[in-house]
Amino acid sequence: MKLTRRNFIATVVGGVAGIQVTPLPWKFTDDVAIWTQNWPWVPVPPTGEFSEVSSVCNLCPGGCGISVRKVDNRAVKIEGRPDYPVNAGGICPVGMGGLQLLYNESLRFTGPMKRVGMRGSGEFQNISWDDAFRIIAGRISALRKSGRPEAIAAVDGNREGTTASALIERLMQAVGSPNYVRLPSLSDTYRMGNIVMEGRDAPVAYDLENSDFVLSFGCGLLEGWGAPGRVMNAWGMWHDANPAKRKTHIVQVESRASNTASKADLWVAPRPGTDAALALGLAHVIIRSGKYDAGFVAEHTFGFEDWQSTDGRPHSGFKTLVLKNYSPEQVSKITGVRPDVMVKLAAAFRLAKAPVAIYGKGKNDLNGSLYEFMAVQSLNALTGRINRPGGVLLPDPIPLNPLPYFERDDIASQGLKKPRLDRGGTQEYPFTQSLISNFADAINRSPKSPIDTLMVFSANPAFTLPDGGAFKNALAKIPFVVSFSPYRDETANMADLILPDCTYLEKMDDMVWPVGLQYPFYGLSKPVVKPIYDTRNCGDTVIEMAKAIGESVGSAFPWEGFEDVVKERAKGLYDAGGGRVSFDRAAPAWKPQNPKAGDKPGYNSFDDMWKKLMAGGLWYRPLDQAREWPWLFKTPSGQFEFYSQLIDQAIQRASAKDLRIAVRDDAACMAHYATPTSTANRSDYPLSMMPYEMINLASGWIPSPPFLYKTLPDTQLLKETSFAAVNPKTAAKYGLKQGDLVAVQSPVGEVQARIDLFGGAMPDIVYMPVGFGHTGYDEFLKGKGVNPNAIVQAEQDPVTGYPVWWNTRVKLVKV
Amino acid sequence: MKKENDHGKPGHKYGMVINLDKCTGCGTCMVACAAENNVSVRPDQSDKERVITWMRLYRITNGKEFPDTEVSYFPRPCMHCDHHPPCVSVCVATATKLDFHTGIVSQIYTRCIGCRYCQAACPYGARYFNWWDAYFPKGKGLDRYLSPEVSPRMRGVVEKCTFCHHRLMRAKSQAYAEDRREIEEDQYQTACTEACPAGAITFGDLNNPEHQVSKLTKHPFTFRLLERIGTEPKVYYQSSRDWVRKLGDNFLPGEYQPVVNKTWMKEEWSTKPGRDTF
Repeated sequence: MKLTRRNFIATVVGGVAGIQVTPLPWKFTDDVAIWTQNWPWVPVPPTGEFSEVSSVCNLCPGGCGISVRKVDNRAVKIEGRPDYPVNAGGICPVGMGGLQLLYNESLRFTGPMKRVGMRGSGEFQNISWDDAFRIIAGRISALRKSGRPEAIAAVDGNREGTTASALIERLMQAVGSPNYVRLPSLSDTYRMGNIVMEGRDAPVAYDLENSDFVLSFGCGLLEGWGAPGRVMNAWGMWHDANPAKRKTHIVQVESRASNTASKADLWVAPRPGTDAALALGLAHVIIRSGKYDAGFVAEHTFGFEDWQSTDGRPHSGFKTLVLKNYSPEQVSKITGVRPDVMVKLAAAFRLAKAPVAIYGKGKNDLNGSLYEFMAVQSLNALTGRINRPGGVLLPDPIPLNPLPYFERDDIASQGLKKPRLDRGGTQEYPFTQSLISNFADAINRSPKSPIDTLMVFSANPAFTLPDGGAFKNALAKIPFVVSFSPYRDETANMADLILPDCTYLEKMDDMVWPVGLQYPFYGLSKPVVKPIYDTRNCGDTVIEMAKAIGESVGSAFPWEGFEDVVKERAKGLYDAGGGRVSFDRAAPAWKPQNPKAGDKPGYNSFDDMWKKLMAGGLWYRPLDQAREWPWLFKTPSGQFEFYSQLIDQAIQRASAKDLRIAVRDDAACMAHYATPTSTANRSDYPLSMMPYEMINLASGWIPSPPFLYKTLPDTQLLKETSFAAVNPKTAAKYGLKQGDLVAVQSPVGEVQARIDLFGGAMPDIVYMPVGFGHTGYDEFLKGKGVNPNAIVQAEQDPVTGYPVWWNTRVKLVKV
Repeated sequence: MKKENDHGKPGHKYGMVINLDKCTGCGTCMVACAAENNVSVRPDQSDKERVITWMRLYRITNGKEFPDTEVSYFPRPCMHCDHHPPCVSVCVATATKLDFHTGIVSQIYTRCIGCRYCQAACPYGARYFNWWDAYFPKGKGLDRYLSPEVSPRMRGVVEKCTFCHHRLMRAKSQAYAEDRREIEEDQYQTACTEACPAGAITFGDLNNPEHQVSKLTKHPFTFRLLERIGTEPKVYYQSSRDWVRKLGDNFLPGEYQPVVNKTWMKEEWSTKPGRDTF
């Protein structure tokens, strides 16, 4: 065929038209797409039989019920349990991402190990469990033989009351060392406040769901305070889709526009650390109006009016003190809150049907201030909100069986007579059980560490303590450190020996009374999957270790394993009676229920109850909103004490100065505000730094599941740098713009962060998120951002001695 | 476009109402979504143009000075636009389409040729391109938590929220096994809905007057994102705060009409404001 112009055009046009008609090109495109997508390295998750396992989340003291979806033996998804009293279906983001903490080999220790590299390098070598027990037991036995059992110390991050912590404390008792140190948390502040004002060594119980006015002093209600599952569930309930049906008002007292402050009905922003003054200012307004609960104050409180002690000395009462020192104008100067806001707020609080004032500092991980808690409790007492529905309830502690008595040998008895290294319980710290900051300080100050062997359980103090790196330095000085952590955290990386615990999804563990819950609650988690590595439940490890040490230490642990101990303690729940082991969503545990005479507990023997407790993972006692008054308060006066006689006695024994109390006389025994002391020079360090916590970033000893980093905005973390939130006005003063890299310098150190201009930040305060800046773990978490704890310079809180971590003087230097 | 299925009966129209007063900004929905749908997590999650978040929390502020600043959040899944979804009309590979039986805008990864037209077309930024293969390095064993219900994606394809379509499949199989023709409201819920600890998300069939969502959409505080471009999103929001509602669209000065308290405390759906007049 001759190629003519006509032919050519016909062929091209025909070809193009033909291609449009045949499916081939489209088929090829499609095939190419499929071919280029079937890469062998794209995982194909194997399928299998689906099942659901119920358990309890143990990542924080919140104790939410979880249901884990499994495919054969693999756990593939965690969800909240609707049939659980605490959280009723939802959970927090950390709990939701929990599988990334289970299935990540480079985050975890895969078996017992000993250190081979430099300390802190994280280089370890596998050893057998037998060898591990031989090393640790040999070391402890040797110290005991040389008559130095007090050189053994334990740092325990398990919550007080749990079986794990009871076993660890028992081990220290049996070994003969007084140096059993717990990490301070908000629960300790609550406990101490309840002791000095109510004479009750019991957790705090806020009846939030039944309240119609929640005045929160610093509680990060939406940042993870209390049991996050419970609080956020209540939040949803409070904010009914139909605003006309909203019965509860939320007022947040906090210096930063956190999620809670923003979402609350009213946000009041006093300067950090002045919450006590604000609470007393509200008390002043209420007292002056004469509309306080005079009946309650007269019948159930002590120290409100002026009074005379038995020796004839006149004392001024709470009323006099508050009327004199805390008028709205005076308080306004301290807090920066306008007087009219205080007057309005006090009126709203007083006029509400069931108001409650609650106290906290962000999450539960860090301590609060005793006098601040006392001020908030005084406000509750003034309005008669203690032992009343929707207020502060006073339930009894959980009736768990105590562990049986055991014989100590001479070495242990001698060792226990030695003073505690942290001076907890001495005249200077009369109500404080342990003080890890003093512990670290004592080691840092002595030329040779008085502690030879340190065991760290469920804690990462080298990262989480707001101490300017003091504990980290102490760790480097201790000759031998043993970590029981399942994760390669900062403290574990400094250890010489690792006896890894299982993660929370692989072991049985118990959960005693989530923070702030208004009814007694006991949760029991069970292994969702078999341990995937060569790890052991820490409770079993402690028993095994004690047996390896032998002698009287071994015989103090007669149990086969951890489960036996949990069961023995839980027997107390059965003996006390009245508890329930299953939950009906239609009858929320916070709703007052009238138990009928014929009500059965749902089990007929202890074995039956234990079986149901294991299956359901919960035990609770229905809400008891108002208890009989007699014998409720176990203070010297038998009343709620505005004027704490226990603090008075403590001052008599030591002195107000020794207890670090700034005020003198009667005010020292009552809630008051005192200007915090700081050794830093104000002109050198013109700003304050306040660490803040977020719900979508784990800040305690549990690492953040990498999923959480999806939720963080790029104004909190960008590449390797985290941000410090600063008010635009403050930034302008120092010529700083959004994203500028600055060094935040305090007297104890320096960290570098970028500036985030945030209108919700109080002027002259630098807000830094806690949870960044890990040097441990794996590439998901390591080296991202900075840890503000490293530059915290904390004074000691009066009476308690806990760190005042919210008041570090800093300056900003542009890099 | 006809809202009917093959048999001429009105189909389901799954949709969502998110209450921004209840929303606490905790991010559990994002985590639940990523965990449920095998979404890849890379070591750096701060490059927000590349990181994959089917459900994403947008942080907004009212822009006022201290101490009147407020923060709020828009949880943003795929809007599953009901009227000419912009992504569907531009897809050259027919990898995404609007299903008239369910109202779900689907995404078929193996058909996707990675041209990213849909990503450019989506007014909500709800579509994400896989710049890399899913991150499951050898030796870490992270792939052990992957769910077999959702296939992990490969590099070079676009992905997005599917309203947990596999959960609908699961509910359908269950109904079939039990010889039922209909799926009850609580049998098909997305992962984010179930996960929300504050119960801020409600999910259901907008065509079914019995379902919560169809009641909630009638509330005067209910609005949609960029409503005026006419794509009819099936994700609704509710807020009692004016400034939040105002950020749902681009308004010219004076154009935004605040919700007036006409029904104050009188009718079932009151519009009593929250913080605005506390």
